[in-house]
Amino acid sequence: MAPAIELIGITKRFPGVIANDNINLTVEEGEVHAICGENGAGKSTLMKILYGMQPADEGVMKVFGEEVTFGSPNDAIDRGIGMVHQHLMLADQMSVIENVILGSEPTKGGGIIDFDAAKAHLAEVGSAYGLTVDPDDMIDTLEIGERQRVEIIKVLYRGAKVLILDEPTAVLVPQEVEELFNNLRELKADGATIIFIDHKLQEVLEISDSITVIRRGKTIATVKASDVTAGDLAELMVGEELPSPATGDSTVTTDVALEVNGLTVLDDDERAVVDDVSLKVHRGEILGIAGIEGNGQSELINAIVGTWSANSGNVRMAGKDITTASVRDRREAGLGYVPQDRHREGLLLDAPLWENAALGHQTGAPYSKGFWIDRASSRDHTGTIRSEFDVRSPNVDVSARALSGGNQQKLIIGREMTAHPDVLIAAHPTRGIDVGAQADVWNQIRAARAEGLATLLISADLDELIGLSDTIVVMYHGKLVATLDPSEIDPRTLGSYMTGAALSDASATDPGPSELSGDPS
Amino acid sequence: MTWLTNLPAWARWAGAAALGMLLLTIVQSVSGTELLTEEGTAQAMVRWSIPILLAGLGGLYSERAGIVNIGLEGMMILGTWFGAWGALNWGPWGGLLAGLVGGALGGLLHAIATVSFGVDQIISGVAINILAPGLTRYLSERVFSGEAGGSVSQSPRVDGFDSFTVPGLADGLGTIRDQDIFWISDMAGFARGLVAEMSFFTLFGLLMVPLSGWLLWKTKVGLRLRICGENPIAGESLGVNIYGHKYLGVIISGALSGLAGAFIVLELAGLYRGGQTTGRGFIGLAALVFGNWRAIGVLAGSLLFSYPFGLSLVDFNAESSGEATRAVLLVIAIALVGVAVWAFRANKRNDVILAGLIAAIALIWYLSTDTAASWLPNTMPYALVLIVLFFASQRLRGPRTAGLPYRKGET
Ligand SMILES: Nc1ncnc2c1ncn2[C@@H]1O[C@H](COP(=O)(O)OP(=O)(O)OP(=O)(O)O)[C@@H](O)[C@H]1O
Ligand SMILES: [Mg+2]
Repeated sequence: MAPAIELIGITKRFPGVIANDNINLTVEEGEVHAICGENGAGKSTLMKILYGMQPADEGVMKVFGEEVTFGSPNDAIDRGIGMVHQHLMLADQMSVIENVILGSEPTKGGGIIDFDAAKAHLAEVGSAYGLTVDPDDMIDTLEIGERQRVEIIKVLYRGAKVLILDEPTAVLVPQEVEELFNNLRELKADGATIIFIDHKLQEVLEISDSITVIRRGKTIATVKASDVTAGDLAELMVGEELPSPATGDSTVTTDVALEVNGLTVLDDDERAVVDDVSLKVHRGEILGIAGIEGNGQSELINAIVGTWSANSGNVRMAGKDITTASVRDRREAGLGYVPQDRHREGLLLDAPLWENAALGHQTGAPYSKGFWIDRASSRDHTGTIRSEFDVRSPNVDVSARALSGGNQQKLIIGREMTAHPDVLIAAHPTRGIDVGAQADVWNQIRAARAEGLATLLISADLDELIGLSDTIVVMYHGKLVATLDPSEIDPRTLGSYMTGAALSDASATDPGPSELSGDPS
Repeated sequence: MTWLTNLPAWARWAGAAALGMLLLTIVQSVSGTELLTEEGTAQAMVRWSIPILLAGLGGLYSERAGIVNIGLEGMMILGTWFGAWGALNWGPWGGLLAGLVGGALGGLLHAIATVSFGVDQIISGVAINILAPGLTRYLSERVFSGEAGGSVSQSPRVDGFDSFTVPGLADGLGTIRDQDIFWISDMAGFARGLVAEMSFFTLFGLLMVPLSGWLLWKTKVGLRLRICGENPIAGESLGVNIYGHKYLGVIISGALSGLAGAFIVLELAGLYRGGQTTGRGFIGLAALVFGNWRAIGVLAGSLLFSYPFGLSLVDFNAESSGEATRAVLLVIAIALVGVAVWAFRANKRNDVILAGLIAAIALIWYLSTDTAASWLPNTMPYALVLIVLFFASQRLRGPRTAGLPYRKGET
C-alpha cells in the first residue's frame, strides 16, 4: 500500500534563508506522525507546502501514491488534506458556523447557504469526535481552547483524511491536551492520518507512532516513538540534554515590587471577571498564576499593564500607586510585559525587527535620543537581542512576519529582558519555543530573578509554572482561591485545583467560587 | 437590557424611528411648526436619501471586502455623466444602466490599483475623486456641448422615471393621518410620504437594502466576500479566491455609486451638471459607519442625514423661512440630554460633559433665534455625523482588515 504522504527532496528558499533543504518525509496511512525540530527548522513551511499555501521551489509530493502539484489549499482540500495552522486562522467577528463552512458552504441552490444543513453536519461531526461548540457563537467570545477546537472542526467538517496539526497544544492546558489526544486517537481509529507538530516531547511520545526530526531545514532522522526517550529526541533536535525549569535556591526578598490590592475588573455585562484580587510580588520572586484560560488571568494582567482599567482596587509598583497611570508611564517605571498573543499584542507583523524591538521602549535609550528615534543604535541593539536570544533571521530589517513562530516569541522575550525591567508580567513566555531555546529563556528569567526581578508568571505549561515559581496562586472564576507551594505539588494536583475539582475537597482555602458564576443580571 | 440586544436589527431600528417620531411630535407641539412630521418632508427626505444610501451600500460592499473606498464620490460623478448620456440616448432605464456601468468602471480601476498593484487604498480613492470630474468635463465637451442646452459642464435635460403611489396603503395611512391623534397621526402622515408618489428608481434604491443584506449574509459569495474584510489569510487557507472576491466587492461598490449618480441626474436635477454630487459620497461613507457596516444601518444613517435636507426643501420657501429647521435644534438638544443621561448611568463622565455641553449650545441657539440660517441644513448632516460617531464609535465594529494591504502567500 502506498504511504499517505510522500515528500521527496522538498526545497524552499526565502530571501536569505533556506527554510527547507531537500527534505524527505514519508507518512504511512493511519499513523500519527510527529515532526520535531528547533524554532525555524522549517516545520511550518513544509506543512504549508503540503497544504498548498506556498509553492515548493523543488521536490515532488505524492498523496496516496499519486504525484500532485498544489496551486492553492483548494487542491489540497480536494485530496483530503486539512490543516490547523500554528496561529489561529479565524475571523473573530464571524460566527463559528460561518468560520467552519467557509469555502465549502452547503447551498440550497442559487448560491444560498443552507445553514440548517451546515449546522446538522457540524453537529454530526462534533458528536462523532466529542467536539462540541455552539455554531452561533461569535469567535471573539470564545476561549482560546474553544477556538482551537473550532479549527479542528473546520478540518473535520471537510472530511479530511490527512490532518496536519501545527503546534495545536501550545495554547492548551493539560486537561485540554488530554481531550485533544482522545479526539486524535478516535480519528486514528477511524483511519485518519495525522501529522503533528509539537515542542513538548512528552506529548510527542505519548501520541505519535513515528517521529521525524528536522534541523536547520534538513531531515535528520525518522524514528519509531516506541524506540526513543524524550532525552534521545532532544539530542536529535538540538544536540543537548533535556532542560528542566527548576529555579534552584530562593532569592525572594522582603521588598514588595508589585502589589495588587482588592482589584476588581467588570466586563461589559457588569460581571466581575477579576474579583477582589490581592497579591504581592517581591523583588527576586516569581509568582505563578495557575488557571484555565478564561478565569480572569488575562483581565488581571491587562489591568496591571494598564490596557484595561480597573473598576476598583489599586496597583502599586515599588510602593507607588499606578492604578490610573498610562501604559507608557508604567512601562517607563520599569514594567516589562510578554503578552499572551504575540500576533495580536506583541508584534507589528509587517514592521522590521528593529522597530518591533523598540515597541514599548521607544521613548528611551537605546531606541531614541530625545525626540528622535535613533535608528543606528536601535538596529545595533536589536542585533544584540538577535544574537543573545538566538532569534534566527537573516538580519534585523526583515519583517516580523518572516520569522518562525518561536523566533517571534524569542524576539519579544529579548526585547523585554534587555530592557532590565523591575517587574515582569510574563504570559506564556516559552509558548512555541523549542526545548533548547526554552532553557535559555528560563536561564534569562532566573538570572534576572537573582538580580531582583519580580515576575508575575502565567503559563499553561504546568511543569514550567511549578519549576520556575517561588509561589503559585490558583485563579478560578476571577478569584484567587488557593496559594500553593510549588515544591509540594505535581502537575496533576495543580490541574485539579485549576478545574475547581480540588477546591470542593479542600474547602478550607475555598471561599466558594460557584456563587460568582451564575450572577443573574 | 438584554432583550433589547436580542431583537432583530430591523425591529430595533423601527423602534428607534418610532421614538424619534415621538420626539419630533413633542417638539413640534411646543415650537409651533407643522413641518417636522409633514408628508412633504418625508417625501423629500426619502428622495434625497437615495444617493447617500446607494453610495453607503457601495461602501458596504467594498469595505466588507477589505478595501476602503474613498473614491465613492468620484464613481458617483462618473455615474452622473454616464447616467445623463444613457438617458439622452435610451431614456430613464438606459440612464440607470449606463450610470451603473460608468460607476462600475471606476470601481474596476480602484480594484486594479489596490488589489492587483497594492496601491494605498486612500491614495487610489483620492486619485479617482480627482480624475472623475476632469474626465466627465472632457466627455461633456466631446458629447454634450454640441447639443441644444448642453455645454462643457452641463447636459441637455433628461427625463426621469414615472412615479406611483402604493394603492391601499397610502389611502389607509391618509385616513389615520386625518384623525389627528397625537403621535399616531404624525407617524401615519410621515409614513404616507414614504409610499406616496414614489419613483421607480427610489423603490429600486430601497430594494437594494434587503437585497444587499441577503446577498452578504445569506449567500456563499457574500460570506466569501466578507472574509476578505475580516481575515483574508483565513479565507486563503480554506481555498477562497481572495483577489476575485475583492474585485467583485469593489466593482459592485462602483456600480452602486454610479447608480447614486444616475439617481441625482434622473430624479433630483433632471440633467447632468458638473459638481452636482456635492460630497454625497462622503456622507454615504458616514452613513456606512453610522450603520455599523450593515445594510439596514446604512439605510437608517442615510435617512437621518438627509432629514435636514428634506426639511429645508419645505422649510425655506415663500411661506416658511426656517422655523422648522430651528426646531430641529431643540430636537438635537433633547436627544443629547437623553444621551447624557444614558452616559451618566453607564458611568462615562466625559460623554456626559460633552453631550451636556452640545445640548446646552443647541438649546441656547434655539432660544435666541426665531428662524434658522439657510446654511444650517447643509451643515447639519455633517454635524450629526460627528456627534453620532463621537458617542457611538466605541460600539461600532467595522471589518477588521479593511484598509490593509493583502498579498497572497504571505502568511
Ligand atoms: N514568509 C517568509 N518570508 C521569509 N522567511 C520566512 C517566511 N516564512 C518562514 N521564513 C523563514 O523560514 C524558516 C523556517 O520557518 P518555519 O516557520 O517553517 O519554522 P518552524 O520550524 O515552524 O519554527 P517554529 O517552531 O518556531 O514554529 C525560518 O528561518 C523563517 O524565518
Ligand atoms: Mg512553526
